Formats: sequence, C-alpha cells, structure tokens
Amino acid sequence: MKECIIQTQDLVHTYPTGVTALKGVNLSIYRNDKISIIGQNGSGKTTIVRHFNGLLKPTSGKVLLYGTDTTQQKVGEMSRKVGYVFQNPSHQMFCTTVKDELEAAPKNFGFTAQETKDAVEEVVELMNIKDVLNVHPLTLDYTTKKIVTIASVLTFKPDVLILDEPTGGLDEAGRVMLTNIIEMMHRNGHTVIMISHDMDYVAENSDRIIVMCEGEIIDDGVPEDIFLNAPVLQRAQLEPPQITQLDLYLENGNQSRAILSVKDFVDKYKQNIN
Amino acid sequence: MKPIIEVKGYSFVYENTTKKVLDNVSFVINEGDFVGIIGRNRSGKSTLCESLVGILPFVMGGSWEGEIIVDGKSLNDTKGAGATDVIGIVFQDAESQFTQETVEDEISFAMCNFGYSRELMRERILYASEACGLRDMLDRSPFKLSGGQQQRLAIACILALQPRVIVLDESTSQLDPVGRDEVFNLITKLHAAGSTVIMVDHNIEKIAEYVNKVLVLYEGKVVEFDETHKVFQNKEKLNAHNVRIPQITDAALQLKDQLEITEAPIRMEEAKLVFDRYKREVGIK
Repeated sequence: MKECIIQTQDLVHTYPTGVTALKGVNLSIYRNDKISIIGQNGSGKTTIVRHFNGLLKPTSGKVLLYGTDTTQQKVGEMSRKVGYVFQNPSHQMFCTTVKDELEAAPKNFGFTAQETKDAVEEVVELMNIKDVLNVHPLTLDYTTKKIVTIASVLTFKPDVLILDEPTGGLDEAGRVMLTNIIEMMHRNGHTVIMISHDMDYVAENSDRIIVMCEGEIIDDGVPEDIFLNAPVLQRAQLEPPQITQLDLYLENGNQSRAILSVKDFVDKYKQNIN
Repeated sequence: MKPIIEVKGYSFVYENTTKKVLDNVSFVINEGDFVGIIGRNRSGKSTLCESLVGILPFVMGGSWEGEIIVDGKSLNDTKGAGATDVIGIVFQDAESQFTQETVEDEISFAMCNFGYSRELMRERILYASEACGLRDMLDRSPFKLSGGQQQRLAIACILALQPRVIVLDESTSQLDPVGRDEVFNLITKLHAAGSTVIMVDHNIEKIAEYVNKVLVLYEGKVVEFDETHKVFQNKEKLNAHNVRIPQITDAALQLKDQLEITEAPIRMEEAKLVFDRYKREVGIK
C-alpha cells in the first residue's frame, strides 16, 4: 500500500464573497501518484490544490499533509514539500532577473550558496533557458515566463509538484519538455498533480484522473475508465481527446477501455484490420 | 477573390535587437479567407499579427523591410494608419485590455475614440453584444465575466467597429473547453457572415476543424501556406517545424495502406466516414 501523503476530510471552502468552492471533499493522494484534476472553470480545482500546501485554510473539515493538519504547520515549510506552479506565471514572479527568480526559492529554503548555484544550473540546463538568465522575467513572452516559473519550483525538487494549467500557451516542443519533466519527477519518486483543460495531454500523462464539478469530486479513476464515462464527462462539460472520440464512435461505446493516444488507436486497428 | 492583405518581402527586427523575428515573409490573404497561423513559440506569429495592424513597427518601433498592403494601401505610405479601420485584433489575455466599468462602456470605448455619433454607437453596441451573446450582460463588470465571456467581449469591442478582417492571437489558449467552443462558434458565425478571419492557435484539432487555409511559421519564415487539408498531410515536414497534425489525421496516415486512402481526413466527420466505410467493407473486430 502506497503512503498517503495528502488527505482531505469533508473539506469545505467558502470564499469571503460567499461562494462555496468546495462542498465537503474527501480525497487521498498517495506517494508517486501522477494525477490530473479536470473540470470546468469554477469547479474547485485550483481551490482544492491551494489547500495542499496551506495557501488556503478549510472553512470546515480538515487537510492532512503527511498526517498532520495543515492548520498546525507553517506555510513556508509546507511550500518546501509541496511546490506549486501558478496558472498565471506573472502571479509568482517578483525578482528583476530570471537568475534571481530561480535563486529565490532555494535561498529562502536555506540552501547554501553552492547548493543554490548547482540547483539553478541544473534546471537552466534541463529547461534550456540559459539565454534569458539576465532578462527581467516580466518582459519575457508568456511561454518563456511559464517555463521559468516551472523551473523556479523545480530548483528545490518538492516532494509534490503541483502544476496549474501547465500546457496553456506551450507549443509542441514545450509540451515534450514538460512531459520529460513530469516523467523525471515521477521516476524519482515525486508526486505530480496537474490541473488541466488539455484532455489530449491529460490522457497521455496521468495515472489517475479526478473529475470535479461544482465543488465536488464526481469521478476518480484511471484514464482508460474516466474517458469512457460519458455521463460524468458531460456533466463536467469535458470532451475526451479527439482520437478517443473517434474510437468511441467506431465501437459505439462497446469497448472496455478508452483509447488514450494515437499509438493506442493505431495498434488496436492495425491488429483488427489485418 | 480580392486580396485584402498582401505581405511582400516583409522582415522585422525589434528595437535594440539584431535578430530578424520575421524574415522575408510574403503571402496574400483574400477577402473571406479563414486562415490559421500555426508554429512553435517564438516563430514570429504574434509579431506578424501586430505587423498586420501596424502596431509594429509604427507604434511600438522596430526596423523593417518590405511592405504590408492592407485593402490596397501600403502601410509604409500611411505610417500604419488605416489598418485599424480594416483589421481588428484580439489578444491572448483579454482582461488586460479592459479599462471600463461595464461591458457597454467597454464596447463603446474605441468608438468614442474614433468619434462615432451617439446613435451609431447605440446601434453598434446592440449589434456587437447580440453577435457575441453579451446582450444580457451590458451592465456587468468586464472583470467579473468568465474567461470565455471576456474573450467574447474583446471580440465584441472590435466587432463594434465592423472591421473586415478579425485577427485573433491565441484568444482561446487560456479558456476551458466551454469557453473555447464559445469563441470558435462565434468566429465561425462571423466568418460565415463575410468576415475575413486570421487566427493564431495551438489547438491543432480545432484549427483543422474550422479554418480553410493554414500558414506555418518557423523561425520567422513562412514554411507552408496552403489549404488546410493539404497542409496536414505532410506529417514529417510539420513535425520538423515543431507542429503536430490532428490526432485523427495522424492515425489515418499511419493506417493509410489498410484504409486505401490517398488523403487522410482532417476533420472528425470526414474521419468517421473513412473508418465507417472500412468497417462496412472489411469489418473491424
């Protein structure tokens, strides 16, 4: 049995505006999970992940991080364990150069000068951003900003990496790079939680999918099952990837598992056609 | 078909830099076209959009060669003026372009600046808000709308000026699937009603589904400009330029021999027909 690292118990969150974004959510996240949380805007996706590192506190119910109530832990310490990449990169940049931006978190978490240097060099290499190190982050184009914010969180290799809409504005090369990073983190035992509207990407890059709708979890399972569950997807106003849709059409809904990628589809039909 | 935009040997370099972000670009867009511009990040897509409306180089600076002709007039001669009478542009982040307290004032803003009469403004507010499905939201704050509604408002703002060409620079990349479909449906309606549309988007499946011509940019150069179904047949070439093809096209190309097709489908309805036929004739277990 995998270790449960984050658990929410009857978690309710009501914002000061009176909007209840989470309506009693029970969820367990295990070490080395590779999870996507999907759902429409306003379904509670961002609200729930902001409870995982204590950025938000429950209105009622509990969130346990490594078995301890998040209200009993310091946000700074939790942020070291749970790294969060915001959807809008401009919301998490505050230094005047990319280099300072990348050094900020490791320094903050008490890395030595050498450790900070090594950590920054590693992500700069990994994400190919050497040419922008001395640039003001806010003058970068959207995609590069996005890559820099992911890099800044990777510097301290958090146990749990949360990516809020990471593919928004990324091109193919960016998506491949992101996939490599997710794979690397997963392979090294980290837990990756992604919020995304990008169903093609979710289908190919998750071991588990959580579907949210109006502040509740309406499905939780493997992608092969989730993308077969038409009523749930319809309720959450989500569409499976294009290739999944074509297979669903051809099989008239009689298949036992959803096709998740072009390769899956080609393998299946090559076999069946010949 | 009458050309509405002619780009001739156009190159552009940003101020204080030396790299040609656009490098000897030439193409013609005809009135009524629906063109998708695709390409990797930093391939010059946004620079091209901003050049078409004269923001670059005439407002934001930079050096250039060649010329862009909009509706028969060279922007070089008019110093960019006149392009905005013909072309309206919607940016990726709609919210950052709003300044007013209500949807109605936001739609009126550009018209006020252009000195429209009160009667004409009233008429256009009704037209644009109706077309964009915002009629019931005129007194709402632009900042309290959903992402899809905000993009529709940004479109309504330019629609009020009745441009003949609408340029959308990644207008759907921040939206959820419902918001994205709202924008695509609206744009399709406007295109059907006669507008010329130029759309930059990373969502290849949607581009293939909607546009009739595709322009591929790579490192500032036009590497492909043709009808949509032709462009997406060449997987190797597009992949080499960091662009993928629609999933169904990719699958059909890989099964081309079995399916006995000369051209792979690019739209869902076409793919259904191709695979259905095969299913009938050969049978898929």
